[in-house]
Amino acid sequence: MIRLKGVTKYYPTKSGRNYILKNVSFDMPSKCNIAILGRNGAGKSTLMRMLGYIEFPNSGEILSDYTFSWPLGLGGGFVGNMTGKANVKFVCRLYGKSKDEIKAIASYVKEFSELGKYFDMPIRTYSSGMRGRLSFGLSLAFDFDYMLIDETLSVGDTRFKKKSKEALMKKIEQSSVLLVSHDVKTVKEICDSGIILDQGKLNFHEDVSEAIEAYETINKQPASK
Amino acid sequence: MEARQPVEIFMAVTKALFIRELNMRFTSGKAGLFWTFFKPFMQVLVFVLIKVVIFGRASDNIDYAAFLALNFTAFNMFKNIISASSGAFNANKGLFVYKQVKPIDTIIARIFVEIFISGIIIVIFVFIGIYFDFDLDVKSLPMVALAFISIILFAFSFGLLVAVGNKFYQSIGKVVNILLTFLMFGSAVFYAIEMVPVEIQEYLLLNPLTHFMEMLHGNYFYVLDDRFVDYRYMALWTLSFLFLGMILYRKLEERIISE
Repeated sequence: MIRLKGVTKYYPTKSGRNYILKNVSFDMPSKCNIAILGRNGAGKSTLMRMLGYIEFPNSGEILSDYTFSWPLGLGGGFVGNMTGKANVKFVCRLYGKSKDEIKAIASYVKEFSELGKYFDMPIRTYSSGMRGRLSFGLSLAFDFDYMLIDETLSVGDTRFKKKSKEALMKKIEQSSVLLVSHDVKTVKEICDSGIILDQGKLNFHEDVSEAIEAYETINKQPASK
Repeated sequence: MEARQPVEIFMAVTKALFIRELNMRFTSGKAGLFWTFFKPFMQVLVFVLIKVVIFGRASDNIDYAAFLALNFTAFNMFKNIISASSGAFNANKGLFVYKQVKPIDTIIARIFVEIFISGIIIVIFVFIGIYFDFDLDVKSLPMVALAFISIILFAFSFGLLVAVGNKFYQSIGKVVNILLTFLMFGSAVFYAIEMVPVEIQEYLLLNPLTHFMEMLHGNYFYVLDDRFVDYRYMALWTLSFLFLGMILYRKLEERIISE
């Protein structure tokens, strides 16, 4: 179970605090693929980063006994002057993988990400799409209870998108997904339920299509202030 | 994924960071690497020449080249640990997306890299010593090792404090770096306290680093001793830096991660 206990998170702005979550308590149902929806700046990525323990609530706590992936976004978490391969090896070592496992993962990632020669080139020479492919391929090599995905599915060309969606669908037979996306179609395909973030409040909808409806209603309203 | 013990995670993370840092050191430009290993020899050479020019060849039964090699290795390690620590958070910012990487791990990994490099330099010095038939007899090897460990601990405490201080005030790292360059002259690096006039001894002994250096060469050379060393003074500085650094670090850890 993922439990939010009185979680408050805000960012200070010039005109006062901008609340992402305002004293939110909530139990997320287990074994359930959840979409996080909301306007730009509503705090979708922040919520995801908090679940990944790399961002922290101002008050309250988030409890969970699950393992989470690092937030899979566009190319965060790589070191520019190291090669793709070196970065992959580094992450494997972080997770305490043995030499043989590292070898296997590296060749899997190389194949999946279709980087070819670039796999042995420094990351700074990559395009953002290539980074995304590397990041996504790498995450598939690990078994997390939850994959935190921040818009990465829109990486690469149509063919690669299709391939990564298939890989993800296979992956979520064992693990669950928390997905931030604006793409309603993807959300519908992958997620069972949805969370709407709006002005410091968190609304959970058990049925993802309800969540999408609610999201679209919010989207039609004019922005407040 | 099976749960790992915190110690296991820490070991895996430190190892991964260590390999990464070492990799970067050895691949990012040959000039830097060359200088890393050549600098201590230059320092020894220059100060031996200065001594010969000013005081002539006559020597007070201490092997000045060995004395300098020992002291510069230790002082450089001290200085390098601090400057490596002070930049550790910024240089590794991107890695904090992996939740098992804590900012302090990046400092520890960098310290291990500095220790590793100092180790290589010591080995090179020893080989040169053997080749040129220097007297390599050490008065008390365990005490010399202990002196190195004390210096590493002091450097870690100091470095941690500078690293968190950097978060408050960007230029603290730079100021400390300049300070350390001047500190070389006041830290018994190319002289022993008993060689300087009595009047300035007490001022030099206010500097904690002087005590560490005195402990080091006092236990290495038979003709020197550690009678100027105040071990409590050393512990006091180390522990208060460590304590202050840790308190500030605990307060700032989350901020450093999520920045």
